[in-house]
Amino acid sequence: MKNVLIVDDQASIRQIVRLILRKDFALAEAEDAVSALEQIKLLKPDAMVLDVMMPGEMDGYQLCEKIKQDPALADIYIVLLTACGQVADQEKGLALGANAYFVKPFSPVEVSRHLIHALQVK
Amino acid sequence: MTTKLNDSLPPLVLQALWQRSLFGIAAINNEGHVSAVNPIFERCTGLDQAAIMGLTEDDFNLALLATPVRECNRVDVGVEGLSALYYMRVRSSSSSQNTMAVKLSGIAEALREPLASIYGFTELLLTQDYDEETRIDLTSTLLDQIEIMSNLINEQLDVRTLNK
Repeated sequence: MKNVLIVDDQASIRQIVRLILRKDFALAEAEDAVSALEQIKLLKPDAMVLDVMMPGEMDGYQLCEKIKQDPALADIYIVLLTACGQVADQEKGLALGANAYFVKPFSPVEVSRHLIHALQVK
Repeated sequence: MTTKLNDSLPPLVLQALWQRSLFGIAAINNEGHVSAVNPIFERCTGLDQAAIMGLTEDDFNLALLATPVRECNRVDVGVEGLSALYYMRVRSSSSSQNTMAVKLSGIAEALREPLASIYGFTELLLTQDYDEETRIDLTSTLLDQIEIMSNLINEQLDVRTLNK
């Protein structure tokens, strides 16, 4: 089973993503970018569902950039999940190496379908 | 900055300028006291007209220091009963519009968070099979998020909050 790390400071969003992905993926969770980075190094997830705006030293954009610049981690498939709805925000995320970008409010079913397709699950 | 008004203007022109000017204007009488302020003055400075009327010019200038006024000019007038006019504004309209746009963008982002939960939990309840206990738990969380969103709307979209 492929591993997905869910990173969001909002417990309710982590719960929604967990509920929709748990049938098809092994899941781990983090509520900020710094603890996510620790988990990434331990778990080497296949994909991440990553919030952009999080409190703490690093936001989702910075974490995404860090991962994509590290050759050992760059293959991780990153889905940005964010409340930043401007086109410029989306372009920034994709320019930093994110593989997909969902704006909140998002369809959990669509996120699940997207990841299943992207990771060629089933 | 102090400049001299060379020619006296017709009363109707002065009246139109006074009423419709985009600037806040305060008049100083021959005794050196504030004798009148135009309609935009209070909005521009946040100062109460009643508190300003009758102040000496020095006290008036002190009062202006505590306001968001960015640009203030003094014009010597020298007409009967009037020695000078001050005109001022807080900020350019484009700057004000930018501030509002940034504020509204921030509110939109704040509202998207609970809205995402409401959308997400609703979709899960409609499309997935859960036992009764889980359904009740999810519905309860859904109601919590609706309350959070309602509070955000009440707090953030209040006219007084928007104008701060």
